[in-house]
Amino acid sequence: MEKNKTQVEEINRNIYDIKNKDDYDFKIKKGLTKEIINEISDQKKDPDWMREFRLKALEVYNKLELPTWGPDLSELNMNEIATYVRPKSKLNTSWEDVPEDIKNTFDKLGIPEAEKTSLAGVGAQYDSEVVYHSMKEDLIKQGVIYTDMETAVREYPELVKEHFMKCVPVYDHKFVALHGAVWSGGSFVYVPKNVKVDIPLQSYFRLNSPESGQFEHTLIIVEEGASLHFIEGCSAPKYNKVNLHAGCVELYVKDNAYLRYSTIENWSKNMLNLNTKKAIVGKNAKMDWVSGSFGSKISMLYPMSILNGEGSKTEFTGISFAGKGQNLDNGFKVIHNAKNTSSVINAKSISKNGGTCTYRSLVRINENAKNSKCSVSCESLMLDDISKSDTIPVNDIRTDEVEFSHEAKIGKISDKAIFYLMSRGLSEEDAKAMIVRGFAYPISKELPLEYAVEMNNLINLELEGAIG
Amino acid sequence: MPDLKLNETPVRTARNFNCNNIVLKDLKIPENYKAFNNIEIDIDNSKIDLEEEISSSKLTYGLGDLLEEQAMKSPNKKIKLNIKGKSNKESIISFNFNEENKNLIDNIEIIAEENSKANIFIKYSFSNSTACKNANCENIMCEKGKNSEKLNNSYENYYHNGIIRLFAKANSSIKLTVVNLLNEVSQNFLSIENNLQENANLDFCIVDFGGKNSITNYYTNLEGEASKNNLNAIYLGKDEQVFDLNYIGALRGKKSVMNIEVQGALNGKSKKNFKGTLDFKRGAKKAKGDENEFCMLLSDTAKSLALPMLLCEEEDVEGNHSTAAGKLGGKELFYIMSRGFNKKEAMKLIVRAKFNKILDTISKEDLKNEILKEIDNRLN
Repeated sequence: MEKNKTQVEEINRNIYDIKNKDDYDFKIKKGLTKEIINEISDQKKDPDWMREFRLKALEVYNKLELPTWGPDLSELNMNEIATYVRPKSKLNTSWEDVPEDIKNTFDKLGIPEAEKTSLAGVGAQYDSEVVYHSMKEDLIKQGVIYTDMETAVREYPELVKEHFMKCVPVYDHKFVALHGAVWSGGSFVYVPKNVKVDIPLQSYFRLNSPESGQFEHTLIIVEEGASLHFIEGCSAPKYNKVNLHAGCVELYVKDNAYLRYSTIENWSKNMLNLNTKKAIVGKNAKMDWVSGSFGSKISMLYPMSILNGEGSKTEFTGISFAGKGQNLDNGFKVIHNAKNTSSVINAKSISKNGGTCTYRSLVRINENAKNSKCSVSCESLMLDDISKSDTIPVNDIRTDEVEFSHEAKIGKISDKAIFYLMSRGLSEEDAKAMIVRGFAYPISKELPLEYAVEMNNLINLELEGAIG
Repeated sequence: MPDLKLNETPVRTARNFNCNNIVLKDLKIPENYKAFNNIEIDIDNSKIDLEEEISSSKLTYGLGDLLEEQAMKSPNKKIKLNIKGKSNKESIISFNFNEENKNLIDNIEIIAEENSKANIFIKYSFSNSTACKNANCENIMCEKGKNSEKLNNSYENYYHNGIIRLFAKANSSIKLTVVNLLNEVSQNFLSIENNLQENANLDFCIVDFGGKNSITNYYTNLEGEASKNNLNAIYLGKDEQVFDLNYIGALRGKKSVMNIEVQGALNGKSKKNFKGTLDFKRGAKKAKGDENEFCMLLSDTAKSLALPMLLCEEEDVEGNHSTAAGKLGGKELFYIMSRGFNKKEAMKLIVRAKFNKILDTISKEDLKNEILKEIDNRLN
């Protein structure tokens, strides 16, 4: 008799799929030309240096090729994408002032509630502009800056000029160049020397407008001895045509500082998520990444730590969950560029219903990174035989004074593990549920509580029979 | 000669990771070469045919069109073996480069008939030259009595481009060992392609020491149910040698098994790119694959690049891989040196010990001893 397969349900997207009317204040015409870039600059009242920067980035974009590897991006047609959509709202510091329909969306996503209960500050972006930003008073008094990028460009021009797209230069790849040309919105965080921000800050990015792109820029500077936990969430309702997300995150973690950057990415399944994230880590500083990737039709996302300071450390903990029609090509990159640096990478993926998960990574330990250590572990769980799971890690070791190890596993839920748990009195269903939750646990325990709950809901088991 | 891109991986990754292929600049590919005559062949239980037409079908992966065409269309040595019956005898094909035989373009096809068994060694080495520049050294390749100037002059730049193809029919059991003991200024290119039918068992061993560039593409198609391939490989680099090793196993048959075990050591400014792929195809239920690579870095200028890939489109499989790289263990070195060995000797002992697990699979004692001596010579 054929066994029924256990069904692992995908996330209930009812909340995320709420569509508001595409009711914008301004939507730029589709396409990507010099005129359009100038128009974006006009609309955003850019200073001259930023206008020039955008135009230069457009030139780089036109010169660079699409990646010759990874998922097929042929369906992306920039002539069909509007790169700037200004919502009918100015930047507010009170939720009451946010227009009703936008506020309702964020209410349903639980953002204001989270602010009240567990966050030190919140930013909310709707389409191309930030509509809400606020932070607790005591942090303001300590000199912490948490604002939208446009305000930062105007009010902290020197800080922004010194750091903006220096960590992620526009020639890194084609979509970074695109981002440089059309970026809009995002968050700017500055944590002064020795200030510890104990409660997380969170930015939430929502793309409502169909056939459009979101290109927010996040720039975080954590000064010497300071610490911060930053949470990023993103979602969009599903449309029939392709939407594009090409954000950019630049993180500067100065000497002895600590930054934890958590992301729950839950874009709709018509989204191409071609995001870039990079951190430069100073002496004895630590950069932790926690990443949950659940949405998007195609995702190409490889956060990167550059360990430039002696004794710097980084840790990456990530999970991808690919369901029907999804191709999640995610991973991590680390460059060891100084003595006594260390990195720990722990990546997991679950593929089901014809979804494809790829773990793609680079570990490079340079000649000058004597006495460095790196440990990589990746595990992939296949829940049926129509899905796909690939592991493509590159390990580039250029000195002998290292300890490097990499291990990876792929397969289904072990019959032995089920048997063992059943011998301890668990039913087959409970045993399997425990194993799948256990598989995701190392990641979910790193997430903020409300996201961990969201993830557990996501891996909602509907147990009917053997997972095998 | 324009830059030559060779040995493409089955799946590409980012270009700036530098591992999708290897690019050789200014490679001189010989165009006019005579027949290669310095060969010893001692084959048991098989029909050997040097004239019979051998397969001309394109390789699934291979090193690239240019080298593949050369080896297919204009080899200077073709060998076809038809293995019938069972034999435990060690068979050997030995190609020995010398001043008269500097270029070898070989195309070898082995057909292992159903229920056959064989143990075959293919060796590429050189004579009349030396791997060192000192006439008094103990290098087994040195011709004693020759003065050092003469020996240096005979330090030839040999060229080898070969294809080895094995078709293992049902229930056949083949041991195949390929040993590359060329010098460090030669060019060594080798494409290996195996097709395994039901219950076929292949134990393949590669010893890869020679070549300024040693580029190997190894592909096994585990087509048959319960077919099995163990691939054991060792590499040893010195000076500015570059190894590009692209080992691929496609598991198609139910309960098929592929194990890849690679041990290597890099000295001087040598560099290694190891690309190992276990590709579980849909339908390969209960297939298992394991892949381990360990690289010992013997100098702080050696470089190790590893890309251990797992590709999977079947749920009911088990796939594992691990790679590691690092300096020789400080404790091991200290212990051996405390017993009166100097650092170089201690290093040799450790390298030999790490390689032993794989070398022990080589049943031909004289060849195994030759390899052990080569390890010592090359680590001098």
